[in-house]
Amino acid sequence: MVKRKLGALEKVEADLPNLQHKLRRDPKSYIEDFRAQHYQYESHREIFMAAPSSATDTGIISLRELIDFIAHVADCYPDITKNFGQELIDMLTQHHLLLEPELREKIVGSLVLLRKKELMDSATLLQTLFPILISTPSKTLRALIFQKILMDLRSSNAKSTNHKLNRTMQTVLFNLVTSDRTSSKGLWAIKLTRELWKRQIWTDAKAVEVMKEAALAENEKVIVGGVRFFLGGDKEREEMEEESSDEEAIDLGKVKHQVGINKKTKKKARAVEKAKATVQRRERKKNQPHPLNFSALHLLHDPQGFSESLFSKHLQSSKSKLNLEQKLMVLQLVTRLVGLHKLHIMHLYSYFQKYLTPRQPSVTSFLASLAQASHDLVPPDDLEPLVLKIANEFVSEAAASEVATAGLNAIREICARQPLAINETLLQDLVMYRKSKDKGVVMAARGLLSLYRDLNPEMLKRRDRGKDASIGLQHGEKQVKRFGAQEAGGIEGLELLEKWKKEERKRKRAEKGLASDEEDDEEEEEEDNWDAWNVEDDEDSDDSGGWIDVQSDAEIDLSDSEDEDGKRPSKKAKQDEDKAADSKPENKLPSIATTRILTPADLAKLQELRQEAAVNALVPGGKRRGQTAEARHNDDALTAAEIEGLAALSAGKATREERIAHAREGKTDRSEHKSVTAKRKEKKEEQGKSTTNKEKARKKNFLMTLGKAKSKGKRSLVETRAVLRAHQDRQKRGGRRGNK
Amino acid sequence: MGASAKRKKEKQKDFQKPKLKVGKAKAKPENFTDTSFKAKSIVLNQQSLKLSAPSASTQFTHHLSLLSSKSDSQRRDSLAHLTTTITSRPVNSPLPQPVSLLLPHLLPLTLDANSGVRTNLLKLLRALPESDVADHVGQLLPYIRAGMTHLAPDIRVSSVEVLGWLVEVAGSEVVSCAGGWVKTLNCFLSVLGWHTEASSKWTTSETKPAASFGKAGAKGKPQVKVLSVLAAFLDAGIGSEAVGDDDGDSDMDSGFPVRQFRAQMIPQTAAPYAYLNLFGKPRDEEGEMYETREDRWRVFEGRFLAAVEKGVEGARAEGGEVGRASAGVRKVLVEARG
Repeated sequence: MVKRKLGALEKVEADLPNLQHKLRRDPKSYIEDFRAQHYQYESHREIFMAAPSSATDTGIISLRELIDFIAHVADCYPDITKNFGQELIDMLTQHHLLLEPELREKIVGSLVLLRKKELMDSATLLQTLFPILISTPSKTLRALIFQKILMDLRSSNAKSTNHKLNRTMQTVLFNLVTSDRTSSKGLWAIKLTRELWKRQIWTDAKAVEVMKEAALAENEKVIVGGVRFFLGGDKEREEMEEESSDEEAIDLGKVKHQVGINKKTKKKARAVEKAKATVQRRERKKNQPHPLNFSALHLLHDPQGFSESLFSKHLQSSKSKLNLEQKLMVLQLVTRLVGLHKLHIMHLYSYFQKYLTPRQPSVTSFLASLAQASHDLVPPDDLEPLVLKIANEFVSEAAASEVATAGLNAIREICARQPLAINETLLQDLVMYRKSKDKGVVMAARGLLSLYRDLNPEMLKRRDRGKDASIGLQHGEKQVKRFGAQEAGGIEGLELLEKWKKEERKRKRAEKGLASDEEDDEEEEEEDNWDAWNVEDDEDSDDSGGWIDVQSDAEIDLSDSEDEDGKRPSKKAKQDEDKAADSKPENKLPSIATTRILTPADLAKLQELRQEAAVNALVPGGKRRGQTAEARHNDDALTAAEIEGLAALSAGKATREERIAHAREGKTDRSEHKSVTAKRKEKKEEQGKSTTNKEKARKKNFLMTLGKAKSKGKRSLVETRAVLRAHQDRQKRGGRRGNK
Repeated sequence: MGASAKRKKEKQKDFQKPKLKVGKAKAKPENFTDTSFKAKSIVLNQQSLKLSAPSASTQFTHHLSLLSSKSDSQRRDSLAHLTTTITSRPVNSPLPQPVSLLLPHLLPLTLDANSGVRTNLLKLLRALPESDVADHVGQLLPYIRAGMTHLAPDIRVSSVEVLGWLVEVAGSEVVSCAGGWVKTLNCFLSVLGWHTEASSKWTTSETKPAASFGKAGAKGKPQVKVLSVLAAFLDAGIGSEAVGDDDGDSDMDSGFPVRQFRAQMIPQTAAPYAYLNLFGKPRDEEGEMYETREDRWRVFEGRFLAAVEKGVEGARAEGGEVGRASAGVRKVLVEARG
């Protein structure tokens, strides 16, 4: 007989997990056992501390196992183990370089476990782990500690924001970044901040301040980390939020139904509980007000100083060690700040001058940055030479079509932000390119044309102005914006509300059979309005809540004109006092906001109308032109891809693969064209339902059916009759089991 | 079966000759198994190929290194070898390796899972010269204490034996070194299952075995052993000081005009200023050094006396060998009081 091999633990029954289990169930009775193990742990610790480097596995029970054991049951004996956490901390901080990896990980894990059992506070844990994170050379330990720190910060901010902890942590990170600007240790601060920003745990200015300091560091990695955060951190946050919100939906009814059918186990019951909790949590989340989080760019203190120092430190100075790609990133950030906060940096525009040649690598990024950097408070004198240079260098018949497209697009983007940056002759020249042979160039030139039809048609040649612009000019609707002129702020969508109100009034009057415009109803209206202070009571707004009317395509097609005036009337109208008299009274500033107080019902309706308008704008078939510029929010960055524009159109022949891919785009999958039966079958299989008898019979192995077929042929007439009768009977009864 | 054309073809395939081609490697058979492997290190079974036999000292070091071997028997045999080398050396000649180098290898073996290894270890320890051991008590004790609280009862018993040897060899050092008194007593109580007041509140029965968890060792004999070692330990700690006093008296007499000059001289122990604890961490009550009998008695009276007395009573009531062994402890206690 073969001897069974005995493990070391079996021989001596030194079974810590077993003891741990017993301790957990009855801590009072086993206190002496625990005390003995604690003595043992202390002796082992003594041995270890006497010679940390040489300590190896001693016998069958190692220090690691003892630490694990004590950490797991520490909550049962808080008075015996009150020093345990501190001892672990000492061990880790003093000897983390010498410790063997497994023991090290176990100590970190045990500390986190103690934190979870609330035997240690977060601040102590973080103060222990963070210095190690920065100083340890071990990659695995760093990864582990980073994950643990993140987890701890998340869990301590889970229920409510732990401001105190966040503040101390942010201060630590800030000091880390600012203390030694040349070291790459700041990367940890960046990683941590970025992760917490993404998860919306840190949303305040202090976190942004950390990143700002990082962006002004001297180590390239740290700089790039900081700059990347400003360029992409908010987008990342949004994506994260969307991701978490569209987790797979749980069909509670289905889950409950399944439990009713299937075997009832504790596990299944727990699954139902969990599903319920998830659904409840989601409901609650849905009802919560959306957290108002400012983007990092908005939370910056002193953006002017920040962008100036970024510019002078990383871009202008000759000592900067950044490569082109990194410089471009910094430039993107600087220009974004300039565009967003309307800043002035003296040498920024002259800095661009030398990079605006078609031979410059990634010139489209430079062009995009330049466009970002222009806003309506930049003196046209600064921009005009740049626009001229772009026009000279990029836009000519001799230049490649992609180059010309990029140049035209860049000019359009600059002019969209500062219309005064181009003079009349140049504009008219550039617009002529819409007769070019190349499609990309044509599109770009048309873009410029339509932009100026909208902004300042007077600069275009008479025949280029288009119908609507000409009419607008005649009526004096079109007002050229002067340098530095500011639009008066209004309530977005207020004109929609006014229009709707007017229509409503008309409708009501029509119902009553009154003449269209009479003043005597005003009082009644007022009463209605006072009723409307209570949104909930207002049935009208109630039944329309949640539903948005989308107009059909045909209705939208009616407005085929090329100007945008229908959408935003009157904003510019009031700039010029002289022409105010000529313009129509409706196009004046909406009187509704100035004459009465908007009720909550009004505001609800306004919100609804705004949504409706937004949806209508997205419906295909509507006007597309100008929408790209219109739809883009001020916060969004301009990318090189947008400058390149429709260069794809002028890129010559696409490869076969590209053409195939292009053709496939937007087409449904071929496999979706299937017979109804096949679809049903698929669905059934998906749901895990069984097959019918018919299907089983159809699938039956041919050889198995042979015997019956053979005997069928040999039946006598009487037998056949009996079989048929039996079959008929069975049919009548409704199958073998009967259909009673 | 096997009549179908398909089967025939399949059968034929098995017997087809592989076609060999000039300049091409021979095709591997279908059932070829790749036996090549990669290893970070390759251990050779025959590690040294020398013509001359290794000298005694190299053999000694070799066996010393084998003490951390994976195999139980290897460890045990090496220990036996070391013991014979030490015992068979000429009288008064030094050890092949000093004790300070031996101990780091030996100590972990107090917690070894194999009982043969532990008994051999004890033999080896007994073979060490007594005077050398006294300086390393502080190093030994943590291992012994770890053994005494071990989950495995066998290990507990054997480490008590080791402690017995140590008390025998260097009793005064054991009780006076840092942590040697209180911590070791704690371990004793834990081994015997005599609990102090504070803890015994929760225990259900008085006659509980030494430790309720794990396999209890043979009840009678180990306890006798533990009790006798405890008696020796207590005797070393708080026993009569007759011998020491005599020494002092003779000192006083010898150098008549200068009295008690020994007190002024540097002590001859290995670490005379250890009590100052200049380099270690600050000690707590348990880890403190209790150098005089009075100190030890004070602590013992405060913390352990009641539990020990109660335990001794219980052991006496049990009668038999255990009762007889407990008489030794009683005697020490009575002497210490009186």
